[in-house]
Amino acid sequence: MNGDLEPNRVLFRLPRPGRRSGVRFLGLIMFLVGVFITAALVPAPSYADEIFTSPKQGEPSAWSGWLEKEPGPFPGVTINDEPFDGDDVEQPIEFPHNVHADTNKINCLYCHTYARRSDVAGIPPTSKCMGCHSVIATDQPRIQKLAEYWEKGESPPWKKVHDLPDYVRFTHERHLKKFLFDNPDMGVERVDEVCALCHGDVKKMTVAKKQKSLTMGFCTRCHEANDGPFDCQKCHK
Amino acid sequence: MSIVRNFIQDWSRYRKGIEDGGFHEYEHMWGMVIDLDKCTGCNACSVACYAENNLAVVGEDYFAHGQAMHWMRIERYWDEPNLGDKASKDTQEHGASFMPMMCQQCNAATCEPVCPVAAAYHTPDGLNAQIYNRCIGSRYCANNCPYRLRYFNFYSYYETSWPSPLDMQLNPDITVRDKGVMEKCTFCVQRIRTAKSDAKMDDRKIQDGDIKTACQQTCPTSAIVFGDLMDHESDVHLLWHKHQTKLGTPKQDKKNPELRGYRLYEQLNTEPSVTYLERVREV
Repeated sequence: MNGDLEPNRVLFRLPRPGRRSGVRFLGLIMFLVGVFITAALVPAPSYADEIFTSPKQGEPSAWSGWLEKEPGPFPGVTINDEPFDGDDVEQPIEFPHNVHADTNKINCLYCHTYARRSDVAGIPPTSKCMGCHSVIATDQPRIQKLAEYWEKGESPPWKKVHDLPDYVRFTHERHLKKFLFDNPDMGVERVDEVCALCHGDVKKMTVAKKQKSLTMGFCTRCHEANDGPFDCQKCHK
Repeated sequence: MSIVRNFIQDWSRYRKGIEDGGFHEYEHMWGMVIDLDKCTGCNACSVACYAENNLAVVGEDYFAHGQAMHWMRIERYWDEPNLGDKASKDTQEHGASFMPMMCQQCNAATCEPVCPVAAAYHTPDGLNAQIYNRCIGSRYCANNCPYRLRYFNFYSYYETSWPSPLDMQLNPDITVRDKGVMEKCTFCVQRIRTAKSDAKMDDRKIQDGDIKTACQQTCPTSAIVFGDLMDHESDVHLLWHKHQTKLGTPKQDKKNPELRGYRLYEQLNTEPSVTYLERVREV
Protein backbone atom coordinates (compact mmCIF):
# COMPACT_ATOMS: atom_id res chain seq x y z
CA MET A 1 0.00 0.00 0.00
CA ASN A 2 1.68 3.20 -1.09
CA GLY A 3 -0.63 5.67 0.58
CA ASP A 4 -1.66 7.47 -2.56
CA LEU A 5 -5.39 6.90 -2.27
CA GLU A 6 -6.69 10.40 -2.89
CA PRO A 7 -10.38 10.96 -2.23
CA ASN A 8 -12.53 11.72 -5.21
CA ARG A 9 -13.19 15.39 -4.65
CA VAL A 10 -15.25 16.05 -7.79
CA LEU A 11 -18.80 15.36 -6.75
CA PHE A 12 -20.75 17.30 -9.37
CA ARG A 13 -19.63 18.29 -12.82
CA LEU A 14 -21.23 21.24 -14.50
CA PRO A 15 -23.15 20.16 -17.60
CA ARG A 16 -21.49 20.54 -20.94
CA PRO A 17 -23.30 22.63 -23.53
CA GLY A 18 -25.68 20.39 -25.36
CA ARG A 19 -29.28 19.89 -26.27
CA ARG A 20 -30.59 18.62 -22.94
CA SER A 21 -28.11 20.33 -20.65
CA GLY A 22 -30.65 22.86 -19.42
CA VAL A 23 -32.96 20.08 -18.34
CA ARG A 24 -30.13 18.35 -16.52
CA PHE A 25 -29.11 21.57 -14.81
CA LEU A 26 -32.69 22.21 -13.74
CA GLY A 27 -32.84 18.67 -12.36
CA LEU A 28 -29.65 19.27 -10.40
CA ILE A 29 -31.05 22.48 -8.94
CA MET A 30 -34.30 20.80 -8.01
CA PHE A 31 -32.36 18.01 -6.36
CA LEU A 32 -30.28 20.47 -4.35
CA VAL A 33 -33.39 22.40 -3.27
CA GLY A 34 -34.94 19.14 -2.16
CA VAL A 35 -31.84 18.25 -0.17
CA PHE A 36 -31.78 21.61 1.58
CA ILE A 37 -35.48 21.49 2.44
CA THR A 38 -35.06 18.01 3.85
CA ALA A 39 -32.04 19.10 5.84
CA ALA A 40 -34.00 22.02 7.23
CA LEU A 41 -37.03 19.95 8.16
CA VAL A 42 -35.17 17.15 9.89
CA PRO A 43 -33.79 18.39 13.22
CA ALA A 44 -30.09 17.96 13.60
CA PRO A 45 -29.36 14.78 15.58
CA SER A 46 -26.70 14.98 18.22
CA TYR A 47 -24.19 12.24 18.93
CA ALA A 48 -25.97 11.18 22.07
CA ASP A 49 -29.29 10.93 20.27
CA GLU A 50 -27.86 8.38 17.88
CA ILE A 51 -26.81 6.00 20.61
CA PHE A 52 -29.23 6.54 23.44
CA THR A 53 -32.69 7.80 22.79
CA SER A 54 -33.14 8.85 26.38
CA PRO A 55 -36.54 10.47 26.77
CA LYS A 56 -37.05 13.72 28.60
CA GLN A 57 -38.44 13.73 32.09
CA GLY A 58 -42.17 13.15 32.15
CA GLU A 59 -42.38 11.50 28.73
CA PRO A 60 -43.05 7.77 28.51
CA SER A 61 -39.87 5.77 28.14
CA ALA A 62 -38.82 2.25 27.39
CA TRP A 63 -38.45 1.60 31.09
CA SER A 64 -41.81 2.95 32.11
CA GLY A 65 -43.56 -0.39 31.70
CA TRP A 66 -41.78 -1.95 34.63
CA LEU A 67 -41.19 1.14 36.69
CA GLU A 68 -43.78 3.51 38.00
CA LYS A 69 -41.99 6.67 38.94
CA GLU A 70 -43.07 8.22 42.17
CA PRO A 71 -41.81 11.48 43.54
CA GLY A 72 -39.09 10.93 46.09
CA PRO A 73 -38.79 12.36 49.57
CA PHE A 74 -37.29 15.58 48.24
CA PRO A 75 -37.57 17.36 44.89
CA GLY A 76 -35.52 16.34 41.93
CA VAL A 77 -34.87 12.83 43.13
CA THR A 78 -36.83 9.81 42.09
CA ILE A 79 -36.15 6.57 43.86
CA ASN A 80 -37.26 3.10 43.14
CA ASP A 81 -38.82 1.11 45.93
CA GLU A 82 -38.57 -2.34 44.52
CA PRO A 83 -38.56 -4.96 47.27
CA PHE A 84 -35.27 -6.73 47.76
CA ASP A 85 -34.20 -8.91 50.61
CA GLY A 86 -30.48 -9.35 50.96
CA ASP A 87 -28.67 -12.08 52.80
CA ASP A 88 -27.88 -11.78 56.48
CA VAL A 89 -24.24 -10.95 56.96
CA GLU A 90 -22.50 -12.31 60.01
CA GLN A 91 -20.30 -9.57 61.43
CA PRO A 92 -17.65 -10.05 64.13
CA ILE A 93 -19.58 -7.65 66.37
CA GLU A 94 -23.31 -7.10 65.85
CA PHE A 95 -23.12 -3.38 65.31
CA PRO A 96 -26.51 -1.79 66.13
CA HIS A 97 -27.12 0.94 63.55
CA ASN A 98 -30.47 1.78 65.13
CA VAL A 99 -28.92 2.71 68.48
CA HIS A 100 -26.36 4.99 66.89
CA ALA A 101 -28.27 6.60 64.04
CA ASP A 102 -31.83 6.55 65.33
CA THR A 103 -31.76 6.69 69.11
CA ASN A 104 -28.68 8.83 69.54
CA LYS A 105 -29.05 10.69 66.22
CA ILE A 106 -25.42 10.43 65.15
CA ASN A 107 -24.89 11.66 61.61
CA CYS A 108 -23.93 8.99 59.06
CA LEU A 109 -21.02 11.11 57.92
CA TYR A 110 -19.53 11.17 61.40
CA CYS A 111 -18.36 7.57 61.11
CA HIS A 112 -18.47 7.03 57.34
CA THR A 113 -16.50 10.20 56.87
CA TYR A 114 -14.82 9.30 53.59
CA ALA A 115 -18.13 9.29 51.72
CA ARG A 116 -18.03 13.00 51.11
CA ARG A 117 -14.46 13.12 49.83
CA SER A 118 -13.65 9.84 48.12
CA ASP A 119 -15.09 7.05 46.04
CA VAL A 120 -15.73 4.72 48.94
CA ALA A 121 -17.63 5.49 52.12
CA GLY A 122 -15.27 3.45 54.21
CA ILE A 123 -15.54 1.82 57.61
CA PRO A 124 -14.27 3.94 60.50
CA PRO A 125 -11.03 2.91 62.22
CA THR A 126 -11.32 1.28 65.64
CA SER A 127 -9.89 4.43 67.19
CA LYS A 128 -13.05 6.29 66.19
CA CYS A 129 -15.18 3.70 68.01
CA MET A 130 -12.95 3.91 71.04
CA GLY A 131 -13.18 7.69 71.03
CA CYS A 132 -16.63 7.31 72.54
CA HIS A 133 -16.60 3.78 73.86
CA SER A 134 -13.63 4.17 76.15
CA VAL A 135 -16.17 6.01 78.31
CA ILE A 136 -19.69 5.11 77.12
CA ALA A 137 -21.32 1.74 77.78
CA THR A 138 -18.15 -0.04 78.75
CA ASP A 139 -20.09 -2.72 80.65
CA GLN A 140 -21.82 -4.08 77.52
CA PRO A 141 -20.47 -7.40 76.17
CA ARG A 142 -20.16 -6.12 72.59
CA ILE A 143 -18.17 -3.11 73.72
CA GLN A 144 -15.89 -5.35 75.76
CA LYS A 145 -15.31 -7.43 72.62
CA LEU A 146 -14.42 -4.24 70.78
CA ALA A 147 -12.04 -3.25 73.56
CA GLU A 148 -10.30 -6.62 73.21
CA TYR A 149 -9.64 -5.93 69.54
CA TRP A 150 -8.44 -2.44 70.46
CA GLU A 151 -5.97 -3.72 73.05
CA LYS A 152 -4.67 -6.35 70.65
CA GLY A 153 -4.15 -3.61 68.09
CA GLU A 154 -6.35 -5.25 65.47
CA SER A 155 -9.40 -4.13 63.58
CA PRO A 156 -12.52 -6.24 63.78
CA PRO A 157 -12.76 -8.15 60.47
CA TRP A 158 -15.91 -6.42 59.22
CA LYS A 159 -17.65 -8.02 56.23
CA LYS A 160 -18.69 -5.98 53.23
CA VAL A 161 -22.46 -5.80 52.81
CA HIS A 162 -22.94 -3.63 49.72
CA ASP A 163 -20.36 -5.22 47.46
CA LEU A 164 -20.50 -4.07 43.85
CA PRO A 165 -18.88 -6.17 41.12
CA ASP A 166 -15.30 -5.51 40.15
CA TYR A 167 -16.23 -3.88 36.85
CA VAL A 168 -18.43 -1.19 38.37
CA ARG A 169 -17.21 2.16 39.55
CA PHE A 170 -19.40 4.07 41.97
CA THR A 171 -18.28 7.25 43.66
CA HIS A 172 -19.89 8.38 46.87
CA GLU A 173 -18.53 11.92 46.73
CA ARG A 174 -20.17 12.85 43.45
CA HIS A 175 -23.54 11.45 44.47
CA LEU A 176 -23.42 13.21 47.81
CA LYS A 177 -22.47 16.45 46.08
CA LYS A 178 -25.44 16.25 43.75
CA PHE A 179 -28.07 15.10 46.19
CA LEU A 180 -26.89 16.78 49.37
CA PHE A 181 -24.37 19.59 49.10
CA ASP A 182 -25.64 21.07 45.83
CA ASN A 183 -29.29 20.56 46.80
CA PRO A 184 -30.61 23.73 48.48
CA ASP A 185 -33.56 21.84 49.96
CA MET A 186 -31.35 19.48 51.90
CA GLY A 187 -29.19 20.01 54.93
CA VAL A 188 -26.33 17.86 56.10
CA GLU A 189 -28.41 16.77 59.09
CA ARG A 190 -30.76 14.97 56.67
CA VAL A 191 -27.97 12.95 55.05
CA ASP A 192 -29.60 9.69 56.14
CA GLU A 193 -32.37 10.27 53.59
CA VAL A 194 -29.77 10.48 50.84
CA CYS A 195 -28.01 7.34 52.05
CA ALA A 196 -31.38 5.58 52.18
CA LEU A 197 -31.78 5.95 48.41
CA CYS A 198 -29.38 3.07 47.87
CA HIS A 199 -28.76 1.59 51.31
CA GLY A 200 -32.33 1.28 52.55
CA ASP A 201 -33.45 2.45 55.96
CA VAL A 202 -30.29 1.67 57.87
CA LYS A 203 -31.62 3.55 60.89
CA LYS A 204 -34.09 0.78 61.55
CA MET A 205 -31.58 -2.06 61.16
CA THR A 206 -29.25 -3.55 63.67
CA VAL A 207 -26.65 -5.24 61.47
CA ALA A 208 -26.68 -3.59 58.05
CA LYS A 209 -28.42 -5.60 55.37
CA LYS A 210 -28.87 -5.09 51.67
CA GLN A 211 -32.35 -3.68 51.02
CA LYS A 212 -31.87 -2.49 47.45
CA SER A 213 -30.86 -4.74 44.60
CA LEU A 214 -28.07 -2.42 43.32
CA THR A 215 -28.32 -3.95 39.88
CA MET A 216 -27.61 -2.04 36.69
CA GLY A 217 -31.32 -1.48 36.19
CA PHE A 218 -31.52 0.06 39.66
CA CYS A 219 -28.74 2.49 38.75
CA THR A 220 -29.97 3.37 35.25
CA ARG A 221 -33.53 4.07 36.36
CA CYS A 222 -32.30 6.71 38.79
CA HIS A 223 -29.80 8.03 36.24
CA GLU A 224 -32.57 8.39 33.73
CA ALA A 225 -34.91 10.15 36.12
CA ASN A 226 -32.26 12.56 37.36
CA ASP A 227 -30.29 13.19 34.15
CA GLY A 228 -27.26 11.23 35.23
CA PRO A 229 -24.56 10.26 32.76
CA PHE A 230 -25.52 7.46 30.41
CA ASP A 231 -22.15 6.68 28.91
CA CYS A 232 -21.05 3.07 29.48
CA GLN A 233 -17.49 3.92 30.38
CA LYS A 234 -18.56 6.38 33.07
CA CYS A 235 -19.45 3.48 35.35
CA HIS A 236 -17.90 0.39 33.81
CA LYS A 237 -14.19 0.10 34.24
CA MET B 1 -39.66 29.78 11.66
CA SER B 2 -38.45 26.45 12.97
CA ILE B 3 -37.53 25.49 9.41
CA VAL B 4 -35.27 28.50 9.10
CA ARG B 5 -33.80 27.92 12.53
CA ASN B 6 -33.08 24.27 11.80
CA PHE B 7 -31.57 25.22 8.49
CA ILE B 8 -29.24 27.78 10.05
CA GLN B 9 -28.37 25.38 12.84
CA ASP B 10 -27.57 22.57 10.42
CA TRP B 11 -25.58 24.88 8.22
CA SER B 12 -23.50 26.23 11.10
CA ARG B 13 -22.86 22.70 12.33
CA TYR B 14 -21.81 21.73 8.86
CA ARG B 15 -19.47 24.70 8.53
CA LYS B 16 -18.00 24.09 11.96
CA GLY B 17 -17.58 20.43 11.16
CA ILE B 18 -15.44 21.20 8.15
CA GLU B 19 -12.98 23.15 10.26
CA ASP B 20 -12.18 20.47 12.82
CA GLY B 21 -12.62 17.44 10.63
CA GLY B 22 -16.16 16.68 11.74
CA PHE B 23 -15.36 15.90 15.36
CA HIS B 24 -16.90 19.01 16.94
CA GLU B 25 -19.56 16.97 18.73
CA TYR B 26 -17.12 15.68 21.31
CA GLU B 27 -16.87 17.10 24.82
CA HIS B 28 -13.18 16.31 24.85
CA MET B 29 -11.01 14.63 22.32
CA TRP B 30 -8.11 12.91 23.97
CA GLY B 31 -5.10 12.73 21.75
CA MET B 32 -1.44 11.98 21.89
CA VAL B 33 1.80 12.97 20.26
CA ILE B 34 4.83 10.66 20.28
CA ASP B 35 8.13 12.14 19.25
CA LEU B 36 10.14 9.30 17.72
CA ASP B 37 13.21 11.50 17.73
CA LYS B 38 13.10 11.54 21.53
CA CYS B 39 12.21 7.86 21.97
CA THR B 40 15.17 5.77 23.10
CA GLY B 41 13.35 2.46 23.11
CA CYS B 42 13.90 1.90 26.82
CA ASN B 43 10.55 0.10 27.34
CA ALA B 44 9.76 2.06 30.50
CA CYS B 45 6.34 2.96 29.09
CA SER B 46 5.57 -0.69 28.57
CA VAL B 47 6.49 -1.53 32.16
CA ALA B 48 4.44 1.38 33.46
CA CYS B 49 1.46 0.15 31.47
CA TYR B 50 1.81 -3.31 32.99
CA ALA B 51 1.81 -1.81 36.48
CA GLU B 52 -1.03 0.64 35.91
CA ASN B 53 -3.51 -1.45 33.99
CA ASN B 54 -3.25 -4.86 35.72
CA LEU B 55 -1.79 -6.49 32.64
CA ALA B 56 -1.11 -10.16 33.10
CA VAL B 57 2.39 -11.52 32.66
CA VAL B 58 1.73 -14.55 30.50
CA GLY B 59 5.12 -16.26 30.64
CA GLU B 60 7.56 -17.41 28.01
CA ASP B 61 5.48 -20.14 26.39
CA TYR B 62 2.39 -18.04 25.83
CA PHE B 63 4.56 -15.15 24.71
CA ALA B 64 6.05 -17.38 22.03
CA HIS B 65 2.50 -18.17 20.91
CA GLY B 66 1.90 -14.47 20.44
CA GLN B 67 -0.44 -14.08 23.39
CA ALA B 68 1.46 -11.37 25.23
CA MET B 69 -0.74 -8.72 26.80
CA HIS B 70 1.44 -5.68 26.21
CA TRP B 71 -0.99 -2.83 25.57
CA MET B 72 2.03 -0.63 25.01
CA ARG B 73 4.72 -2.31 22.97
CA ILE B 74 7.94 -1.06 21.44
CA GLU B 75 8.43 -2.13 17.86
CA ARG B 76 12.02 -2.18 16.68
CA TYR B 77 13.18 -1.59 13.13
CA TRP B 78 16.64 -1.55 11.55
CA ASP B 79 16.98 1.15 9.00
CA GLU B 80 20.73 0.90 8.38
CA PRO B 81 22.64 -2.03 6.87
CA ASN B 82 24.60 -4.18 9.23
CA LEU B 83 28.08 -2.73 9.21
CA GLY B 84 29.56 -4.73 12.06
CA ASP B 85 29.64 -8.42 12.78
CA LYS B 86 27.51 -10.21 10.23
CA ALA B 87 26.95 -13.22 12.42
CA SER B 88 25.07 -11.19 15.00
CA LYS B 89 22.22 -10.08 12.86
CA ASP B 90 19.88 -9.06 15.66
CA THR B 91 22.36 -6.98 17.59
CA GLN B 92 23.61 -4.31 15.31
CA GLU B 93 25.43 -1.37 16.69
CA HIS B 94 23.71 1.27 14.61
CA GLY B 95 20.45 1.93 12.93
CA ALA B 96 17.78 0.86 15.37
CA SER B 97 14.63 2.90 15.44
CA PHE B 98 11.79 2.37 17.82
CA MET B 99 8.10 2.89 17.61
CA PRO B 100 5.86 2.76 20.68
CA MET B 101 2.60 1.20 19.64
CA MET B 102 -0.61 1.42 21.59
CA CYS B 103 -4.27 1.61 20.63
CA GLN B 104 -4.53 4.55 18.24
CA GLN B 105 -8.04 5.45 19.50
CA CYS B 106 -9.30 5.81 15.94
CA ASN B 107 -12.15 8.22 15.42
CA ALA B 108 -13.51 6.10 12.59
CA ALA B 109 -12.54 2.86 14.23
CA THR B 110 -12.72 -0.38 12.34
CA CYS B 111 -13.20 -2.41 15.50
CA GLU B 112 -16.43 -0.75 16.60
CA PRO B 113 -18.95 -1.61 13.88
CA VAL B 114 -18.05 -5.31 13.85
CA CYS B 115 -18.70 -5.94 17.53
CA PRO B 116 -21.89 -8.02 17.77
CA VAL B 117 -22.69 -6.88 21.32
CA ALA B 118 -21.50 -3.25 21.14
CA ALA B 119 -18.79 -3.82 23.71
CA ALA B 120 -16.49 -1.70 21.58
CA TYR B 121 -18.05 1.70 21.13
CA HIS B 122 -17.10 5.34 20.89
CA THR B 123 -17.46 7.59 23.90
CA PRO B 124 -18.35 11.30 23.71
CA ASP B 125 -14.74 11.90 24.76
CA GLY B 126 -13.45 10.56 21.48
CA LEU B 127 -12.18 7.42 23.14
CA ASN B 128 -12.48 4.00 21.69
CA ALA B 129 -13.90 2.18 24.68
CA GLN B 130 -14.01 -1.49 25.48
CA ILE B 131 -16.59 -2.60 28.04
CA TYR B 132 -15.19 -5.77 29.53
CA ASN B 133 -18.32 -7.12 31.17
CA ARG B 134 -20.22 -6.86 27.91
CA CYS B 135 -17.55 -8.55 25.80
CA ILE B 136 -18.38 -12.10 24.73
CA GLY B 137 -15.02 -12.81 23.11
CA SER B 138 -15.98 -13.11 19.47
CA ARG B 139 -12.60 -11.54 18.52
CA TYR B 140 -14.06 -9.80 15.45
CA CYS B 141 -12.60 -6.50 16.62
CA ALA B 142 -9.05 -7.82 16.85
CA ASN B 143 -9.31 -9.33 13.42
CA ASN B 144 -10.55 -6.07 12.00
CA CYS B 145 -7.94 -3.86 13.66
CA PRO B 146 -5.32 -2.85 11.08
CA TYR B 147 -2.77 -2.14 13.82
CA ARG B 148 -3.08 -5.47 15.70
CA LEU B 149 -3.39 -3.68 19.00
CA ARG B 150 -6.15 -5.63 20.65
CA TYR B 151 -5.25 -8.49 22.96
CA PHE B 152 -7.38 -11.45 23.86
CA ASN B 153 -7.37 -13.38 27.12
CA PHE B 154 -7.14 -16.94 25.89
CA TYR B 155 -6.62 -18.29 29.41
CA SER B 156 -7.19 -17.13 32.97
CA TYR B 157 -3.83 -15.48 33.19
CA TYR B 158 -4.69 -13.78 36.49
CA GLU B 159 -4.47 -17.11 38.31
CA THR B 160 -0.75 -17.42 37.71
CA SER B 161 0.25 -13.86 37.03
CA TRP B 162 0.11 -12.48 40.54
CA PRO B 163 1.00 -15.07 43.21
CA SER B 164 -0.14 -14.31 46.71
CA PRO B 165 1.61 -11.16 47.92
CA LEU B 166 1.75 -9.66 44.43
CA ASP B 167 -2.01 -9.37 44.10
CA MET B 168 -1.84 -6.47 46.54
CA GLN B 169 -0.25 -4.37 43.78
CA LEU B 170 -3.32 -4.57 41.53
CA ASN B 171 -4.91 -1.30 40.62
CA PRO B 172 -8.42 -1.19 42.11
CA ASP B 173 -9.61 1.33 39.51
CA ILE B 174 -9.58 -1.19 36.71
CA THR B 175 -10.93 -4.71 36.37
CA VAL B 176 -8.80 -7.81 36.43
CA ARG B 177 -9.87 -9.42 33.19
CA ASP B 178 -10.79 -13.07 32.99
CA LYS B 179 -10.47 -15.33 29.99
CA GLY B 180 -12.66 -14.72 26.98
CA VAL B 181 -12.38 -10.94 27.14
CA MET B 182 -10.76 -8.63 24.63
CA GLU B 183 -8.71 -5.79 26.03
CA LYS B 184 -6.64 -2.91 24.77
CA CYS B 185 -5.10 0.42 25.67
CA THR B 186 -7.67 2.81 27.12
CA PHE B 187 -5.56 5.98 27.28
CA CYS B 188 -5.60 5.33 31.07
CA VAL B 189 -9.32 6.00 31.25
CA GLN B 190 -9.30 5.53 35.03
CA ARG B 191 -7.04 8.55 35.35
CA ILE B 192 -9.23 10.55 32.98
CA ARG B 193 -12.28 9.57 35.01
CA THR B 194 -10.66 10.52 38.30
CA ALA B 195 -9.40 13.85 36.98
CA LYS B 196 -12.84 14.70 35.59
CA SER B 197 -14.46 13.75 38.86
CA ASP B 198 -12.02 15.90 40.82
CA ALA B 199 -12.62 18.82 38.46
CA LYS B 200 -16.37 18.48 38.90
CA MET B 201 -15.98 18.38 42.67
CA ASP B 202 -14.15 21.71 42.51
CA ASP B 203 -16.66 23.14 40.02
CA ARG B 204 -14.06 23.90 37.41
CA LYS B 205 -13.19 22.76 33.95
CA ILE B 206 -10.53 20.18 33.37
CA GLN B 207 -7.17 21.74 32.63
CA ASP B 208 -4.26 20.69 30.51
CA GLY B 209 -1.85 18.71 32.66
CA ASP B 210 -4.51 17.33 35.00
CA ILE B 211 -4.24 13.96 33.32
CA LYS B 212 -1.02 12.12 32.66
CA THR B 213 -1.13 8.65 31.25
CA ALA B 214 1.12 6.06 32.85
CA CYS B 215 3.40 5.86 29.82
CA GLN B 216 3.71 9.63 29.63
CA GLN B 217 4.49 9.86 33.33
CA THR B 218 7.24 7.28 33.05
CA CYS B 219 8.86 8.36 29.79
CA PRO B 220 12.38 9.57 30.74
CA THR B 221 12.73 11.74 27.64
CA SER B 222 9.17 13.12 27.62
CA ALA B 223 8.58 11.70 24.18
CA ILE B 224 4.89 11.18 24.90
CA VAL B 225 2.49 14.12 25.25
CA PHE B 226 -1.14 13.56 26.11
CA GLY B 227 -4.05 15.97 26.32
CA ASP B 228 -7.27 17.32 24.96
CA LEU B 229 -7.31 18.16 21.27
CA MET B 230 -10.46 20.22 21.72
CA ASP B 231 -8.63 22.52 24.14
CA HIS B 232 -6.84 24.85 21.79
CA GLU B 233 -4.17 25.76 24.32
CA SER B 234 -3.15 22.29 25.35
CA ASP B 235 0.32 21.00 24.58
CA VAL B 236 -1.08 18.29 22.35
CA HIS B 237 -3.09 20.69 20.26
CA LEU B 238 -0.13 23.03 19.92
CA LEU B 239 2.08 20.17 18.76
CA TRP B 240 -0.52 18.98 16.25
CA HIS B 241 -0.85 22.54 15.07
CA LYS B 242 2.90 23.10 14.91
CA HIS B 243 3.44 20.08 12.73
CA GLN B 244 0.26 20.82 10.79
CA THR B 245 -1.20 17.39 11.39
CA LYS B 246 -4.79 17.55 10.31
CA LEU B 247 -7.79 15.47 11.13
CA GLY B 248 -10.00 14.28 8.34
CA THR B 249 -7.35 13.79 5.70
CA PRO B 250 -6.09 10.48 4.37
CA LYS B 251 -2.61 11.94 3.87
CA GLN B 252 -0.75 14.81 5.47
CA ASP B 253 0.80 17.41 3.20
CA LYS B 254 4.49 17.36 3.92
CA LYS B 255 6.20 19.98 1.80
CA ASN B 256 8.36 21.30 4.59
CA PRO B 257 10.74 18.65 6.06
CA GLU B 258 10.34 20.27 9.48
CA LEU B 259 6.71 19.22 9.59
CA ARG B 260 7.27 15.75 10.96
CA GLY B 261 3.80 14.69 12.03
CA TYR B 262 2.05 11.68 10.56
CA ARG B 263 -0.47 9.15 11.69
CA LEU B 264 -0.33 5.42 11.14
CA TYR B 265 -2.17 4.03 8.12
CA GLU B 266 -3.91 7.30 7.43
CA GLN B 267 -4.83 6.12 3.97
CA LEU B 268 -7.26 3.65 5.57
CA ASN B 269 -9.27 6.64 6.85
CA THR B 270 -9.36 5.33 10.41
CA GLU B 271 -8.58 8.83 11.78
CA PRO B 272 -6.24 7.88 14.63
CA SER B 273 -5.86 10.26 17.58
CA VAL B 274 -2.14 9.56 17.89
CA THR B 275 0.40 11.53 15.91
CA TYR B 276 3.94 10.30 15.49
CA LEU B 277 6.71 12.79 14.79
CA GLU B 278 9.22 11.35 12.37
CA ARG B 279 12.72 10.59 13.45
CA VAL B 280 15.40 12.96 12.19
CA ARG B 281 18.39 11.18 10.72
CA GLU B 282 21.82 12.60 10.06
CA VAL B 283 22.67 12.02 6.45
